[in-house]
Amino acid sequence: MDTVTLTIDGRSITVAKGTTVLQAAIEHGIQIPYYCYHPALGIDGSCRVCLVKIEKMPKLQTACSTLCADGMVVDTQSPEVVEARAGVFEFLLINHPLDCPVCDKGGECPLQDYSYTFGPDASRMDFPRRTFDGEGAGADVDFGPTLLINRNRCILCSRCVRFMRDIDGDPQIGIEDRGNGSHIVTFQDKGVHSILSGNLMDVCPVGALLARDYRFKSRPWDNPIAVDTVCTLCAKGCSITAWLRAKPEWAKGPRLARVTPRYNPQVNDYWMCDIGRFEYHFTESDRRLRRPLRRTDDGVLQPEGWRGVLARLREEFEAADTPGERRTIAFLASAHASIEELVVLGQIARALNGEGAERQVGVSWRVSEKPQPAGTKFKVPRVDAPNVAGAIDLGVGAPPLEDGGPDLSALKAQVEAGRVDVLYVLDPGPAGSIGDLSWVIEARAQGRIRLLVVQGVLMTDLAAAADLVLPGATYLEKDACYTNEQGIVQAASRAIAPPGDAMEDWQILVNVGAALGAGVAWASTAEIRADVAAAMPDRPGYADLPRLAFAKPAIARTWLQTSNPSERWKWDALFKDLPPVKFKGKAETSPRRDLDD
Amino acid sequence: MDPVLTSHIREPNGHTLEAYLRRGGYSGLRKALSLPPGEVIEMVKASGLRGRGGAGFPTGMKWQFVPKDSPKPKYLCCNADESEPGTFKDHVLMERNPHLLLEGCAIGCHAIGAKVAYIYIRGEFYHVQRVLEAAIEEARAAGFLGRDILGSGFDCEIYVHRGAGAYEAGEESALLESLEGKRAQPRIRPPFPAVVGLYGCPTAINNVETLCNVPLILTHGPEWFASLGPEKNGGPKLYCISGHVEKPGVYEASMHVTLRELIYGYAGGIRGGRALKAVITGGSSTPVILPGQIDAQASFDGLLKAGSMLGSAAIIVMDDTTCMVWLAENLLHFYRHESCGKCTPCREGTDWLLKILHRIEAGDGSMRDIDLLLSVSRNIGGKTLCPFGDAAIAPVVSTIQHFRHEYEAHVREGRCTCPAEWREMGNRGPGARA
Repeated sequence: MDTVTLTIDGRSITVAKGTTVLQAAIEHGIQIPYYCYHPALGIDGSCRVCLVKIEKMPKLQTACSTLCADGMVVDTQSPEVVEARAGVFEFLLINHPLDCPVCDKGGECPLQDYSYTFGPDASRMDFPRRTFDGEGAGADVDFGPTLLINRNRCILCSRCVRFMRDIDGDPQIGIEDRGNGSHIVTFQDKGVHSILSGNLMDVCPVGALLARDYRFKSRPWDNPIAVDTVCTLCAKGCSITAWLRAKPEWAKGPRLARVTPRYNPQVNDYWMCDIGRFEYHFTESDRRLRRPLRRTDDGVLQPEGWRGVLARLREEFEAADTPGERRTIAFLASAHASIEELVVLGQIARALNGEGAERQVGVSWRVSEKPQPAGTKFKVPRVDAPNVAGAIDLGVGAPPLEDGGPDLSALKAQVEAGRVDVLYVLDPGPAGSIGDLSWVIEARAQGRIRLLVVQGVLMTDLAAAADLVLPGATYLEKDACYTNEQGIVQAASRAIAPPGDAMEDWQILVNVGAALGAGVAWASTAEIRADVAAAMPDRPGYADLPRLAFAKPAIARTWLQTSNPSERWKWDALFKDLPPVKFKGKAETSPRRDLDD
Repeated sequence: MDPVLTSHIREPNGHTLEAYLRRGGYSGLRKALSLPPGEVIEMVKASGLRGRGGAGFPTGMKWQFVPKDSPKPKYLCCNADESEPGTFKDHVLMERNPHLLLEGCAIGCHAIGAKVAYIYIRGEFYHVQRVLEAAIEEARAAGFLGRDILGSGFDCEIYVHRGAGAYEAGEESALLESLEGKRAQPRIRPPFPAVVGLYGCPTAINNVETLCNVPLILTHGPEWFASLGPEKNGGPKLYCISGHVEKPGVYEASMHVTLRELIYGYAGGIRGGRALKAVITGGSSTPVILPGQIDAQASFDGLLKAGSMLGSAAIIVMDDTTCMVWLAENLLHFYRHESCGKCTPCREGTDWLLKILHRIEAGDGSMRDIDLLLSVSRNIGGKTLCPFGDAAIAPVVSTIQHFRHEYEAHVREGRCTCPAEWREMGNRGPGARA
């Protein structure tokens, strides 16, 4: 690879040819602020805060648009640069409302941070600020179903415009009017309608584009714990970070503040879809199953201890009409089940129904079309489950149908023929993600199934029809592995504990196996993964399973780490305390002089 | 010097192809087509023709920067977005001598290897669009445009594109954006339009007057052209003289001419015999100069020496009734209105400058506002994406430089101190609308 060597602030730096000065500086921990540049959205050159002095060039240059060249000498700290930069920051703030105390971005706002670091010590602007509160474009209004826009705060970096144009593929956002009156608009003020709209909040360097979901919900410093994990709400498996609130004793409400995308060039780049971003709420919903439930003789689901339900399951299973025989049992798992859970379930099926019975386990998932523009760079898969590929690889269940949907015909036929006494359903995903199981509910209602056991996380229609309900854990409540549509085996980490008496699903399955006499003896998920690895030595993703790392909740020590998540990679290098910038002749020109005198 | 560009503009029906051919029109194109493109560029280089749009960049050099071996199509764009305040020379040429421009475009296309030229005219030039389109039809019908021009095998089409009326669209990269159907906002350079221009293809962008000079060079030879003016400032030049003169208008002269000759000779002197106070020499983006400097040669180099620029040769003359604070306020009203809003210093800074100027002009300013104006100007100048920022601060900085006492008088007396006519007419000036 061709490289060039240049000097930035006296440091000799070697970078690949084609690198810009800004990228080189970021890579080497040199402080240059920026707004309009974004690693995935390219160069715009419009915010002008990345001005640097380059030797032999008469004017200051924008670091974002200047390519590194051999022998180039760049200075980011000369008085000329410092003052010019501070001048641009003064401009950026003359119409910015400075309502940081009530702004969702406050505390993780690049405009705030950079202004403190690089801006002047005081503004000399003493005119009323420009506002958008009259006719026409409003300042704090809805911007589509998921977003809000505050045009007063906007600094017109155009990242949102470029995100919609370049990544989403449907350029819904534009800039209207010109000069000082420029503002962000959508056609007929309809707002942004996109499955990727949440990312606009991430790319916005100020609090102009906000998610309705997160509005006034938390402040960054109240989300001090972060867990790096993987989203499992579809087959893509985006890398995400779950943010936990430091919840005081007396506080009610959710523990999870939000989930945000985490940079992963292999899978999701800097982005995630709105499904993963906003629909994680089911994990803390009121419909969560917290205790095992058993249907009484009156037909009511009543809470019962774990021992009680497992004993009941055993009784029902063994109470066959002919003595010495057992009832027939069939298994149906959602593709939200992790690799570990499928392995345990497969083992139980084999133990009870004989060799090869793991293939008869029904594996089900929902397929839903998500309309997206043809040119989108971030395609959200049709399959709403994280582990379809994992089930195929492990040999659990039948291969999918040609349209990508699950093949449940064998199980269905058995149930219809009344050959299944006990149906055990494992459904740790959100409501409906297991696909349409109304035929199971119907079969139970008509008595074709004698006992319906549902191990799940929500009081779905299916759970409501069950005889035994076993409360499991969602993807944010357990360490588990999933294989995404690209065949990458990924680890999703435990961010919060399962609620109430709910348990991690592999553990429930091990207990169920013991209760049914299926003899599964794993003591931890690590043991399960080790066995999978041993069984599949020639599949690199699986052979490496024991080495897969699960993130632990980490203290986000400062706002630096909780900051704008799509750009977290840069924060550690930036921001040391710099002295405030004073403009030349400041004492004479500051409007505050009267106050000082 | 006898006019060559504007010699026939008063002739009835002088804009028709028939009249143009009678005057020897399209002989330059005939000559150009008989030469290889490289030689045409050499001729233009030898003539020393410099761009008439404002920057004064050598045209031949600009054409040479267009890569010859690029597999992409090449384009020639004629910048006819003449919107610099005080400039009104190009529309005279287009309206009265359209075939001269078309001939220049065709020669330019031949020189850089383009097959298509676009004439981007400003939104307000509706009548010019009709004239140009009629002329293009005439030229096509007569075989001077279209396929196989004059049997040389050279194809060339010219299209007229009327903008929506934005000053910024006159900046060359913003012009290309606008031509592509986007907002007229400048692009980052490099890459320069000569390499990555219209639709990402190599593009040469020339002013109307520049292209109108090209046929003359081909017809009369580069030596003749260079000899018309001083060294490195050859050829005829159109001057737009406006403001407080007896006979404002477009005048053609050699660049030997001085500002004094232009103001007192061509334009008939200051109206009513009043005293000259200041002159803007090249459109509102250039610094004002004082009466003491009007013996400077009105050429690219001469005015640079005098501390200003020839720019688009829009000479705005102001007599002693003009308030310099009002002048700056008036021009900043224009720049604030026309800022495209893409980059921060220009978008925010022009608005701030106007507000301060309006406050001073209204008598509510303070002494520190004057320093604040300079400081804000310094924070805009050289920090913007395109030269707009430098243009916008020129009136502020140069009026404070030369007329600081007037600003101070405004502050001291709490009112405008100049007896300008418009005030007696009850008009508070454009600042009142800001």
